[in-house]
Amino acid sequence: MNKQLVAYITSAYPDKNFTSDLALALTQNGVDTIELGIPFSDPVADGPLIEKANQLSLRNGFRFSDTVEITKEISDKVDLLWMGYFNSFYQQGLDKLLPLSKQLGLGGYIIPDLPHEETLRYKELFAQNGLVNIAFVAPTDSKERIETIVQDAQKFIYMVAYTGITGSGKDENLEPFINDIKTFTDTPVFVGFGVNAKTAKAKAKHSDGVIVGSAFIDILLQENLTHTQKIERCCELAKVIKEEINA
Amino acid sequence: MYIPKPSKFDPDSLGHFDIFGGRYVPETLMPALLKLEKEYEQIRFDEDFWREVDYYLKDYVGRPSPLYYAHNISEELGAKVYFKREDLNHTGAHKVNNVIAQGLMAKRLGYKKVIAETGAGQHGVATATIAALLGLECEIFMGAKDVERQELNVFRMKLLGAKVHACQSGSKTLKDAMNDAIRHWVTNARDTFYIIGTVAGPHPYPLMVRDFQAIIGWEARAQILEKEGRLPDCVIACIGGGSNAIGIFQHFLEDEGVECIGIEAGGLGIDDKNGCSLQKGRPGVLHGQMSYLLQDEDGQILEAHSISAGLDYPGIGPEHAFHKENKSVTYDYITDEEALDAFVWLSQREGIIPAFESSHAVAYLKKLQNIKDKLIIVNLSGRGDKDMIQAKEMLHFD
Repeated sequence: MNKQLVAYITSAYPDKNFTSDLALALTQNGVDTIELGIPFSDPVADGPLIEKANQLSLRNGFRFSDTVEITKEISDKVDLLWMGYFNSFYQQGLDKLLPLSKQLGLGGYIIPDLPHEETLRYKELFAQNGLVNIAFVAPTDSKERIETIVQDAQKFIYMVAYTGITGSGKDENLEPFINDIKTFTDTPVFVGFGVNAKTAKAKAKHSDGVIVGSAFIDILLQENLTHTQKIERCCELAKVIKEEINA
Repeated sequence: MYIPKPSKFDPDSLGHFDIFGGRYVPETLMPALLKLEKEYEQIRFDEDFWREVDYYLKDYVGRPSPLYYAHNISEELGAKVYFKREDLNHTGAHKVNNVIAQGLMAKRLGYKKVIAETGAGQHGVATATIAALLGLECEIFMGAKDVERQELNVFRMKLLGAKVHACQSGSKTLKDAMNDAIRHWVTNARDTFYIIGTVAGPHPYPLMVRDFQAIIGWEARAQILEKEGRLPDCVIACIGGGSNAIGIFQHFLEDEGVECIGIEAGGLGIDDKNGCSLQKGRPGVLHGQMSYLLQDEDGQILEAHSISAGLDYPGIGPEHAFHKENKSVTYDYITDEEALDAFVWLSQREGIIPAFESSHAVAYLKKLQNIKDKLIIVNLSGRGDKDMIQAKEMLHFD
């Protein structure tokens, strides 16, 4: 199977239309799934680049409704997940938000601060609405814990590439973890954190795909580029990474 | 010797106090938290562990802290006011009680590095102190704004051998220091123990820190019974994260005749910038826990404001959120101005200079209704030495 590429982009940075255009362009250039980020004031799992994009988007007046609008606009053309910190979703009321997001055409959620134990009470709600809640495995997890986490995992498993925050240059041997995951489930394993054009090939070696965030955000934050140039550079990067992981 | 007892307010096995608490952290940290929880279950009622804690609390910290009858203030108010003198502890505040126990736990678990977040710097100083004592490497995360307004404590931490990181993001206060401490922890989860300074963060911290601080209430209860032959009518404590408050309330919460009152930072006023998470916030998730938070409609965390760096935080420990809902504690607030008045009042009436944080609890003596003839304990959680530079700019006596 072709190894997959998931791209994280921050909602409404620099603005809503840009995000929609970028998501559509990326999908035509090798990206299989878009992770649409909900900017949050305190993104503790993220490194400086994504934190900065979050803050700039908030400073531009980002509201949750912007993500809803972007989703409405692109969901029929893009395989879409929402990535956000739990408080952003909790404040919308999950009872209301999950049916609404399903209706909008969303595939599911990636919530980095909602570990397995805290997902239990919402499991039913996600299932009822036909939405996935992506499971995370970290390189600190024991085999026993991996078994618990991945047993109901759907779509893909988010293998965190190293102990740390997004966009750092750390490197860890993930082979044993991916092997452990594969003994318990057939759900594909995607590696995220620190994936860029240089590292993509190595990170994809044992996995079924990669998740790229900071490398795209780095382009979005370059002030000397026009919107069109940013989209072009992101698409070039997506193409390169897609080739690298499947080479 | 103090050993915690199980309480009817203990969280469930996932660390939930009803809907509050829990563990809202990146998966990378879960194994460390599960290990910590297991370890804590083993030592929570273990005599050997508590004997070691007891040794340091007595001979190093100077416990028990006195329960002092404040003659002058009592006379002025027509009430009987006692102060639980946590300000007399080594390092100047209640923070050290918790840090001794967590430091000993870190050592037991084999960690050589500890980190901590700090607001006013009291917890940072306490952590740096214990790291020096126990031979642990120590890094402290502090908001850049707090580094500036608490420069004496920053110097103390450095003198004690700790590395201090000034956090530049967001409001540059405690909230942002905690963000960076968590990021550092996620990155170094395998070899670093995070000494959280208050009854907040992911489970088991709120329970652990409560147990470690509840020696305050355990002593105060015995002391007031010895001095007065009865329990107090009110116990008052200030709340940032809420550890000194939970600590002293813990041994009075199940007594119906005792009203426990937690005082939040009213800042510039209840309808202006403040630190009143319980009065003005709603339940939400930040820093590993569900609790009351100051936030906008979309759940973006708002900046808190308080004269006191230790109370300048938009959240609160989850057990306080739980006590607000079950009404076992009364919560109110004191503004910057009222706190500053009380800072001067206590200094000049009793010769005790309280920390700005503790001044909020002291100030409530003037706000409390029907105070006449009441028997009251105020937790004097810290001393004011660290606030001198800030106070000097605001107060003029010539």
